[in-house]
Amino acid sequence: MLSFRYKDKGTALHKLSPFCKLAWLVSIFILALIFDHPIYLLLLFLSTLPLVFAARVWREWLSFMRFAFYLSLAIVLINALVSQEGSHILWQASFRLPVLGAPLVALEAIVFGLGMVVRLLAIISAFVVLTFTIHPDDIMLAMIKLKLPYRSVLVTSLSTRFIPTLIDDVERISDVQRSRGLELDKGRILQRIGSRMAIIIPLLSNSLDRTVQVAEAMESRAFGSGGKRTFYRELKLSKLDTPALISGFSALALGIFMRCGGWGNYQYYPTLERIRLDGFETFMLSLLVLILCLIVPLSLLKERIELD
Amino acid sequence: MIKIENLTFFYSDAEKPALKDVNLEIEDGEFVLITGPSGGGKSSLCRCFNGLIPHFYGGKLAGRVEVQGLDTKNCSPRELATRVGMIFQDPESQLVTMDAEREIAFGLENLGFSRTLITKRIEESLDTLSISHLRHRTLHDLSGGEKQKVAIASVLALHPEILVLDEPTSELDPNSAEEVLSMLERLNDELGITVILVEHRLDRVVQHIDRLVVLHRGRVVADGRAGDVFIQNYEELTEIGTGIPPIIKLAHELRKTGINMNGIPLTVKEGRISLRNALQKAYTRKLQDDEIGKNCVKPVIEVKKLWYAYPEGATALKDVNLRIGEGELAAVMGRNASGKTTLVKHFNGLLKPAKGKVLVDGIDTREATVAQLARAVGFVFQNPNDHLFADTVEKEIALTLENLGFESREIRVRVDKMLERFNLKEYRKQYPRSLSVGEKQRVALASVIVAEPKVLVLDEPTRGMDHKLKRELMKFLQEYTAQGNTVILVTHDVEIVAELAGRVVLLSEGKIMVDGHKRDVLSRSLLFSPQINRLVQAFQKYGIPDNILTVDELVRVVR
Repeated sequence: MLSFRYKDKGTALHKLSPFCKLAWLVSIFILALIFDHPIYLLLLFLSTLPLVFAARVWREWLSFMRFAFYLSLAIVLINALVSQEGSHILWQASFRLPVLGAPLVALEAIVFGLGMVVRLLAIISAFVVLTFTIHPDDIMLAMIKLKLPYRSVLVTSLSTRFIPTLIDDVERISDVQRSRGLELDKGRILQRIGSRMAIIIPLLSNSLDRTVQVAEAMESRAFGSGGKRTFYRELKLSKLDTPALISGFSALALGIFMRCGGWGNYQYYPTLERIRLDGFETFMLSLLVLILCLIVPLSLLKERIELD
Repeated sequence: MIKIENLTFFYSDAEKPALKDVNLEIEDGEFVLITGPSGGGKSSLCRCFNGLIPHFYGGKLAGRVEVQGLDTKNCSPRELATRVGMIFQDPESQLVTMDAEREIAFGLENLGFSRTLITKRIEESLDTLSISHLRHRTLHDLSGGEKQKVAIASVLALHPEILVLDEPTSELDPNSAEEVLSMLERLNDELGITVILVEHRLDRVVQHIDRLVVLHRGRVVADGRAGDVFIQNYEELTEIGTGIPPIIKLAHELRKTGINMNGIPLTVKEGRISLRNALQKAYTRKLQDDEIGKNCVKPVIEVKKLWYAYPEGATALKDVNLRIGEGELAAVMGRNASGKTTLVKHFNGLLKPAKGKVLVDGIDTREATVAQLARAVGFVFQNPNDHLFADTVEKEIALTLENLGFESREIRVRVDKMLERFNLKEYRKQYPRSLSVGEKQRVALASVIVAEPKVLVLDEPTRGMDHKLKRELMKFLQEYTAQGNTVILVTHDVEIVAELAGRVVLLSEGKIMVDGHKRDVLSRSLLFSPQINRLVQAFQKYGIPDNILTVDELVRVVR
């Protein structure tokens, strides 16, 4: 089983300051939300791939994508069935539902669903890169530096800290319950849910006990009750990180500029718009992708200079 | 210095006090061991030392606790944190960050120390515990012992004058436990830190402590030098179910038979000296053992050329061959990660052989589901909390039978029998998780035994158990095997094996190294021998059989 935990693989991307990667993530995230055009979204998704490879996290990435694939299927399916707009009707039911009329599936609805999926994949992919290249405690520090309240940040970081523990717990408890004759994959859905409870209840109760113990241990080490807190680790943003940071923000700026200029729009309904990209738009778009990917060579450059 | 005067404490929803009229004074630099049966108030007392009671755990508090001149009632745990460091039982739930360095920094950061000071303290604590090689490792990947050392380092970094440790070794294997304990001795000895340690197993520490305090039902029932306590309060301690090291028990038993000695020996070495007169006589009596038949009994578990590797890589079992017969009581022992648990998980199909075969009662485990095998093999895991999830004790026990498809009338009869057998009748309608540790353990055991499995596998059942619970369990296991069932015990606890098992299977690096009668496996060895055997090894030349393992056996021979 793959453990979904941060591991320092020591690549140039891992060594880059968390702020650069955060800036990059924010750019992808916002751009994926403001653009509607499927080509734009697809390119955003593709521009996360060089990072996945450069950081050598493709195995983790793949398992997330497997999960995303099922989610995508569901999105396309539900959208096709629920959205009753569109002019190219692929299939129409022979029966009628009250109020809604005869259900139909339109080409436009499917394409729209696909567009949403690509958007989602771009965002998930970017998050995977972030989670597996920044030490969770550093994410916490970065959040604090960005003036988020310490307590909420700590709670988030504690919950990531205990995920592996939780996974161990699940394995142990399911061994225990299976040994008592519990069959997890037998019967109808209701029965299956019932048998899952035999694992979920001990898991939750154990975790509750654990919370008290953790709180007790933290309190014993002077946590809380006022007083100023210092931070041992410092998030360094060296001069060598600046280019990567700038590249992240300039991608965002460029994207927003393009969007304001009316690009990146796309009409799915009632009829799919024809995809037309003129020379200048193609140039600008390539520039955007290039800037987004720039973080990889910049991180390599930083590593090289630091070595010298 | 700690001064406790007339301390009585009730947890907020409790009717009985957790601590009652406790008076205790602990001098600076003392090494104090607190022991006593489960539920006796040991943890509660620990919580009083650093103000978790009354600041974290609310309730009714009467009396006074003074730590280094500060009344804990008016002093928050934060203020006390630099004076009293506290280490808990479960290493996993007291570590809050991802690596050792950050973990040690955590307390210092909370106190607002400067970065330079934190850096210095981290180095210092890493060196004191010799764990600087762990500094960047992910804490989750460390072994229990290493985690516990990181926890100690993280507390030590705050420069406390007092260390309080609440059963720090109960989740650890003997080697790691040993290491942690000797670390504590060093801290006490060289740095003069007051150490207050809660432990069930006294034999490993009793020679190093200055003082022994026994708590029972919230009261201090004994307090003094270990030697004195074991002379004056011996009867009382046995009665309330405190674990007493075998060598001390032996001394008392020999006294009863009229053998004289000066004082009470606390260690094997002291035993050799003070029992010299008694044991240096020509004894001719030999031990008689019931033979354990390897081949004559019908096998219930047959392992043939078993290989197993975990998906992550390492080969856990290498060409294991084993036959365990009906009515046998076998102990599976070995170092951590030697493959013990991996082996026994094959017995009920939780793991399936990668190569080779495992036959349970004639059934090939590859061709049966865990549920099908569950009728023949019951499996009891260490932590009863993993077992329990039903609303009532009754339902909890019935659930196993329901899973296995028993009829409702049969279920009722069997559940009643179990409630009777395990003394759980009065709790039948209670929520199992709200019971005491011992009761939970019984419910978990009952929920497995109710299916009347031919084979009962127990994985580390005595870890963290007090003496009384251990006794109860041992008695039950003996009865169960006497009925013709097979019991397989995975354990580190040599003393339990010495008394209970017939056969011992010793694993190392996924291979069976030794397999034989406990007398052959456990005697004459350097580390695996129980205390009494280490004692008699010195008197072998006087005719005392050198394969004696327990107090009773030695007394029988000497009498």
